[in-house]
Amino acid sequence: MTLDAVGLEVMGHAFASVAEEMGLVLIHSAVSPNIRERRDCSAALFDAAGEMVAQAAHIPVHLGAMHESVAAVRGLAPGPGDVFILNDPYTGGSHLPDITLIGTIDVDGAVGGYSVVRAHHSDVGGVQAGSMPAGAREIFAEGVIVPPLRLTADVERFLLANVRTAETRRADLAAQRAAVARGAEGLRALAARYGWAAVRGAATDLLDYAERRARDALGRLTATALTATDWLEGDGVDDADLAIRVRVDITDGVFHVDFTGTAPAARGNVNCPLAVARSAVLFVVRTLLPEDVPTNGGVQRAVRVTAPPECLVNARFPSAVAAGNVETSQRIADTVFLALAAGGIAVPAQGQGTMNNVTFGGMRDTGSGMRDGWTYYETIGGGQGASPTAPGPSGVHVGMSNTRNTPIEVLEMEYPLRVKSYALRPGSGGVGRWSGGEGVIREFEALAPMEASILAERRRHAPRGAAGGRDGARGSTCLNGAPLNPKVSVSLAPGDVLRVETPGGGGWGEPERGDKR
Amino acid sequence: SLPIDVLIHGTTIATNALLERRGARVALVTTKGFEDLLWLRRQDRAALYDLARDHPSPLVARADVVGVAERTGPEGVLEPLHQDEVVRVVAAVRALEPPAEALAVALLFAFRHAEHERRLVAALRDALPAIPIAASHEVLPVFREFERTSTTTVEAYLRPKVSAYLGRLERDVRARGIGMLRVMTSSGGTLPPGAAATRAASLALSGPAGGVIGARLVGAAVGLPDLLTLDMGGTSADASLVTGGSPLGDSGGTVAGVAVALPAVLIETVSAGGGSIARVDEGGALKVGPESAGAVPGPACYGRGGDRPTVTDACLVLRWLDAQHPLADAVRLDRDAAEDALRSLGSVGGASDPTAIAAGIVAVAAAVMARALKRVSVARGLDPRRMALLPFGGAGPLFGCQLAEALGMRTIVIPPHPGALSALGLAAAAERVDLLASLHRALDGLSSGDLATAFAPLLEEGRRQVPEGSLLRYVDCRFAGQGYEVTVPVTGDDPQRIRDAFLVEHRARFGHAGSDQRVELVNLRVVALREGPLPRFADARRVVQRPGASRPITLRGARVSASVWALDELAAGVTIAGPAILAGRNATALVEPGWRGTVHPSGAVLVERT
Repeated sequence: MTLDAVGLEVMGHAFASVAEEMGLVLIHSAVSPNIRERRDCSAALFDAAGEMVAQAAHIPVHLGAMHESVAAVRGLAPGPGDVFILNDPYTGGSHLPDITLIGTIDVDGAVGGYSVVRAHHSDVGGVQAGSMPAGAREIFAEGVIVPPLRLTADVERFLLANVRTAETRRADLAAQRAAVARGAEGLRALAARYGWAAVRGAATDLLDYAERRARDALGRLTATALTATDWLEGDGVDDADLAIRVRVDITDGVFHVDFTGTAPAARGNVNCPLAVARSAVLFVVRTLLPEDVPTNGGVQRAVRVTAPPECLVNARFPSAVAAGNVETSQRIADTVFLALAAGGIAVPAQGQGTMNNVTFGGMRDTGSGMRDGWTYYETIGGGQGASPTAPGPSGVHVGMSNTRNTPIEVLEMEYPLRVKSYALRPGSGGVGRWSGGEGVIREFEALAPMEASILAERRRHAPRGAAGGRDGARGSTCLNGAPLNPKVSVSLAPGDVLRVETPGGGGWGEPERGDKR
Repeated sequence: SLPIDVLIHGTTIATNALLERRGARVALVTTKGFEDLLWLRRQDRAALYDLARDHPSPLVARADVVGVAERTGPEGVLEPLHQDEVVRVVAAVRALEPPAEALAVALLFAFRHAEHERRLVAALRDALPAIPIAASHEVLPVFREFERTSTTTVEAYLRPKVSAYLGRLERDVRARGIGMLRVMTSSGGTLPPGAAATRAASLALSGPAGGVIGARLVGAAVGLPDLLTLDMGGTSADASLVTGGSPLGDSGGTVAGVAVALPAVLIETVSAGGGSIARVDEGGALKVGPESAGAVPGPACYGRGGDRPTVTDACLVLRWLDAQHPLADAVRLDRDAAEDALRSLGSVGGASDPTAIAAGIVAVAAAVMARALKRVSVARGLDPRRMALLPFGGAGPLFGCQLAEALGMRTIVIPPHPGALSALGLAAAAERVDLLASLHRALDGLSSGDLATAFAPLLEEGRRQVPEGSLLRYVDCRFAGQGYEVTVPVTGDDPQRIRDAFLVEHRARFGHAGSDQRVELVNLRVVALREGPLPRFADARRVVQRPGASRPITLRGARVSASVWALDELAAGVTIAGPAILAGRNATALVEPGWRGTVHPSGAVLVERT
């Protein structure tokens, strides 16, 4: 059947509403701040053939990233009503903290589709609290590995026995399970209202519609063999630069990115599975499409991602991958933008291209003579690249992240830290016909002995300007005025000051006729 | 004419000043090192995929921010505010060119330690007695520096304009012999004009609040305390929630992209209204909105120069609206113009008949609204299937059955005079002052005495501002480490009862009661209320027992004969089987097949599935 103009729009909203509802149930009933407030999570509805019909992606790093999870489950002869769990990056996952639940939806006794919910859990075991240990050389150090399994009470007990904050994990998993159930209910309610054959047909039509819209929009761009190389500044084990190389071809409305020439598997944790690379490419494609094109598997049909086996972005077991989601994904998006800009396609200049991950941790008195560990994690915004039509926004998260900051008044009430200053970084945006956005200065003073670790990029290689615009300023991290490496762990004594200056965005266009800010 | 005792005024002056950026020139005095807070916001970007889009700029020019060398932390003063620094800051503010018309003072941790703010305000007031000053410890004494600073800035930005306007209005009101003037606020209560003039920011979200108060009243009259409300206007529709007989509050609001974190009735706006314009996109899908024809030029059928097809045009072509029956404002509807506008879309998925296109437009508009209604309820842990839908505004009741079906709801309440429900809400709103204070203590370490002491100043202030009112106490609690709070009512001073109430409320809202985390008491709230006389709904003219006529309308692609009733004059107890059109003076309702309406003594029509 073919939907008419009205059916397309009505059913598009109906499917999107189910995915939205799943996401809201998850966010609303989860316990941990990482899901509730940072919204590091995603929900999607898939059809029985494993194509995504609708997604509520709260931050771009999850965009279209669960296709492999469903594929992994489909290989296990799922029955209607089964719920699976996985986090294994080598079988359908992204990095270990992202735990994905995949429910097969029972429609009239058959598998009618999949209800899929992914959330970043703030601990999944491994050698360090938070499960993102810098310097890990194998995935085994990063936490407990869950291949696709039916989620039974035994599996959950086994999983919870391997994590540090079992009660919080249990509650967050319950929220995920509720969201999966809500997705299944939502699809069945649509079947009851419109008839299952109509719903199934509508899903097929919507995928075709999104593919048609995506290919239309991409078909207006022509690109052959656009290439670019950008750099990751060390892998957490070694400080040497690692190349990310892309070749972009847009042919017949299909956006193809090939990673030949990219560095081989890194020794540290900046590797990522191809699914993560695909999300980063999909993010770039999404910025090229009209806003009302639905995010579904139809868009993914217009995107092809290839990479040599065992390279950095097509991770080889048992490489460590924790930072692949966080920083490598940013660099992939950046490199693809750079290639497009080089081909004269109207895309923004590069933004800060890093999340400036800062983690503090130590021990503190809990009263009555007891001591307890604490950790605090934040990411810091910076400059967005200027676009062909406007300056780059300042002091925001760019690319694959979009989480909010922690208010200073919250931070200081809860942790032994003081914020000395929090400001935009004047002059850090690259000048151009339009200027890049400005980076941020955030200065912390330690009030107690603690460990700090920084995972950042763009300390050596500046965000590039486009179309003649100048580069944004590089970022820096300083301890008491002395510069630190991009990825580093240090001990802080009371009074020590850690100053993070985040990169500015690149400018767009020659700055000849004055610099418009 | 009858003498008027009270005039209750809902005004958009504050909202419009924000939308149009026509407020005062504000200087912001803030802690040195943190002058960029309004620009840094919460660091999230304006749009995920439109990388050129930025947040609207702050209300203050960066050159008008004056940093003060001082610092307070959670435990008190870290860096003292020296007298020569006060003098320097005053001089710096006076030296601004062009001069500031209003001042905002917002220092870090002033919600807890206000001494530095007080000294600066006193010195600035001495030096610049004619200039209004808003201080963050007065406007919004709660934590989270960005939201507090932004709200304080909004207060300064709006105060000169709002207080001048209310001053003029009060003089007019007196001159006409009207006994009393009261002004509606965002929290759904009213303030005397003097108080409203120094709480200008609390008017910014007041527009849609009246309708929700009216909806709550109708819900109470018909015995339905849990409502999903939808006010469908010309350019947009406002959704809100009433639970247990009270409108759900929200303090995370923004107006025109500017954060205003004052207590407000929860409103979520959807860009789907009678004026929303339909078009076919390049992929062949029919879209409705967000572009709107508004009231001017308005839908094509208004004959005011609009020629693009809108939702109202579609309703007319389907004959849900009657060309013989003028809308409010005596707008006559031109059916030919509506059909021409629909035809201008060409072929819509193979259909070029205006009636088929019209059916598509209303189906899409309903899908957009249903999605928003689901979002607004599910995001708060509420299941629409357990609530009644109360659609109002001129066109809302036309969509009741479609929306209820999409959301799995069984009951629809069509209020009496749906187009005038906001006015009813205004008339019925209580006099109300919201007072806030910060506490930030673990509930475990708190004694009854501590709590009574902390509440005392708020209660005293409540008594002062609303003499003879009732004082309701609430606290915002949260689990340690969480970034959101739950407001629970306080009865008695026993912290253990607060803890229990919090856990019950948390379980009800979020499906669980945490996992052994510590409970913190974050903020104290006092609401001082004085209810006015409630309006009576009974109306002697309600005598209509049967339909006036019937007319052919189009519903879901089929032509059916609908009975037509005079909505405003239906007698209690009358039952109305769908399909039926209920045509009122200021609104039209549609009862679809499969639904049956019963007229309640209040004049509301309860529509339920048959």
